Amino acid sequence: MATSIDPLVLGRVIGDVVDMFIPTATMSVYFGPKHITNGCPIKPSTAVNPPRVNISGNSNELYTLVMTDPDAPSPSEPNMREWVHWIVVDIPGGTNPSQGKEIVPYMDPRPPMGIHRYIFVLFRQNSPVGMMVQPPTSRANFSTRMFAGYLHLGLPVATVYFNAQKEPASRRH
Amino acid sequence: MAIPMATATPTDSASRVWSMSSLRSALPSATTCRMPSSTSRRPVTIRLPVSSPSPLLLPSFSGLSPVNPLISTGLPDWKSFENGFKIIDGGGRVYAMRHGRRVPKLNRPPDQRKALLRGLTTQLLKHGRIKTTRARASAMRKFVDKMITLAKDGSLHKRRQALGYIYEKQIVHALFAEVPDRYGERNGGYTRIIRTLPRRGDNAPMAYIELV
Repeated sequence: MATSIDPLVLGRVIGDVVDMFIPTATMSVYFGPKHITNGCPIKPSTAVNPPRVNISGNSNELYTLVMTDPDAPSPSEPNMREWVHWIVVDIPGGTNPSQGKEIVPYMDPRPPMGIHRYIFVLFRQNSPVGMMVQPPTSRANFSTRMFAGYLHLGLPVATVYFNAQKEPASRRH
Repeated sequence: MAIPMATATPTDSASRVWSMSSLRSALPSATTCRMPSSTSRRPVTIRLPVSSPSPLLLPSFSGLSPVNPLISTGLPDWKSFENGFKIIDGGGRVYAMRHGRRVPKLNRPPDQRKALLRGLTTQLLKHGRIKTTRARASAMRKFVDKMITLAKDGSLHKRRQALGYIYEKQIVHALFAEVPDRYGERNGGYTRIIRTLPRRGDNAPMAYIELV
């Protein structure tokens, strides 16, 4: 392989959920001791609680974080693409989502079938959002692009994703 | 792979001696040989002779290693079949017709055939539905079902067997994650073939094969 393919393109994150963008902020996501890199496998049991997210930037900027699953209910038949797990708005730069306003409460990954991608998308806000946004009526059939358009967020500034699959209930073999 | 040599099987040793000498004259160097098949109508038994190295190499060989009973040393043993020459007979029969042969050859030698089928099953498992010729579609059903059966089992050994067959390992991992839920109740018959219009360039009959 001569050139390195962007792992987001390789994992089809760019295309399925977001459009091609230039990352301008950095975001590091930790589930307990585990640092999330693109495409790393995470067990659902370690993702029960919301992760620790560190967002770069200065504190007068506000950010929005969205966590979605485009492979609901199964990657080969994503009828409910996307399933939104977490939306936090008005996060001041340089802090973590606990300082922001949680529109959609965190739901842990429960992939019923297949290997799902769980994507964290970070947007930079132009203005405080506050009361303007309504939480979506259902978590299914969410569209990150439309949500960003609705809040005039533009292209994302950072994205990371991980893979998870259902842990087998009992090891048969 | 040793090329089978068809000879009319004589029953007495004198004829055997005769066949060996004619063999020798036919061979430039005594490697595996092919004799033109005899015109006898009755089924002939395939004999697989063990290849012996050419006499030029032998002097350096035999001094170092114990004499292999299978290797003829180029001495009086040439004259008779029995001395040290084991006949390894696969027991296969060759007929003039194709009666009962069910393996589709797909106009390819065996290695290419295996590679073609591996590629086709990989692509079907990747895309869910592919369009190909009817012969290829009906030939690959067996192997797609085999891969799904391996995934249904789900153990590490089966996973490694699948990894040895399918060209992309992401597909194997996705397969092993999805198949138990998707095909758990279905017993066999994981594919469906739908015939379509012939291909324009060569009028080959085409078909869609898809995962049920």
